[in-house]
Amino acid sequence: MLLQLALWIQATDFFTYLRGSGYVYPAILSLHMVAIAFFGGMILMTDMRLLGMAFRSRPVADLVDQLRVPKMYGFGLAATCGVLMLGCKAEEYYYNAFFRAKLALLILVGVHALLFHGRVYSKAAAFDQAGRVPGVAKVAASLSLLLWTGIACMGRGIGYIEPPFGIHAQLLHLLKI
Amino acid sequence: MIEFKIPMLLIENPLNESALSFPILECFHIVGFAFSVGTIALVDFRLLGWGMKRESAAQIAKETFFWTLGGLIVMIFSGLLLFSSDPDMYYLNYAFDLKMVFLVLAIVFNYTIHRKAAMAEQPAGKGKLIACVSLGLWMCVIFGGIFIGFLNPTLDIHQI
Repeated sequence: MLLQLALWIQATDFFTYLRGSGYVYPAILSLHMVAIAFFGGMILMTDMRLLGMAFRSRPVADLVDQLRVPKMYGFGLAATCGVLMLGCKAEEYYYNAFFRAKLALLILVGVHALLFHGRVYSKAAAFDQAGRVPGVAKVAASLSLLLWTGIACMGRGIGYIEPPFGIHAQLLHLLKI
Repeated sequence: MIEFKIPMLLIENPLNESALSFPILECFHIVGFAFSVGTIALVDFRLLGWGMKRESAAQIAKETFFWTLGGLIVMIFSGLLLFSSDPDMYYLNYAFDLKMVFLVLAIVFNYTIHRKAAMAEQPAGKGKLIACVSLGLWMCVIFGGIFIGFLNPTLDIHQI
């Protein structure tokens, strides 16, 4: 079912064009990395501030509140480029263990947000008033750092897996050629 | 037909003994540039009037100084090790050559004009121009890095 969807997506005119376009594909990958470079630093600095390792002379709320929206733009850019690359090789991605691991970690990022948004990230101003960052915020920051570096590493891993043997025969069978 | 025989000194790079060393170094490379370029971009975005507006560009530059430097060191050393895995491929790769030119320009720009602009309150227009140049240079470095993998010249030693 999911595999058929993957096959259909990569066979659309748009993704067929993208796949064969030579330099457009690496340009999309480059933009994906630009998003990591320009906006990944915002995640790193926010978490490092919660851990008391960066921007120590500035309030926690200044980082958490001011970078929330820019981080979303960055995630939007990275995700858009990611989806475009996924569409080009949807079938390979379906089989790719690193891609699955990356998706699992992205789901955990969602769980992390559900668990800690109310307890940590919307309470930054209160930490500044209290003059100390509680343990739960440090746990949240450490987990966030682990999840995002994990996602970056899994993403790099995707490129190292070749499609499994026999995949083309399977494709021909599914398309009934 | 005269046959030439060029004596070659082939030294095995211990990094090439494991298939894992290259991808692991790449992960360090990525985290390194997320720290370095990411913190530089924070200053640039501030100069453009976006992001951490409650801080001045000078405060952001001061607070991120060691993270930028640390990120650059991790990025450069992992990069040198990556380069050592197949130097003549990189040497012949135009994307790599361009990347190195932009990298030198970006680093020099960062610690001279960019730093001065962040530290002294610049007229808004000039600060914005400098921020755009900085972001543009780092984008060129990243594009160069990705395109290395898509242009693959090889130096076949048997044909020399």
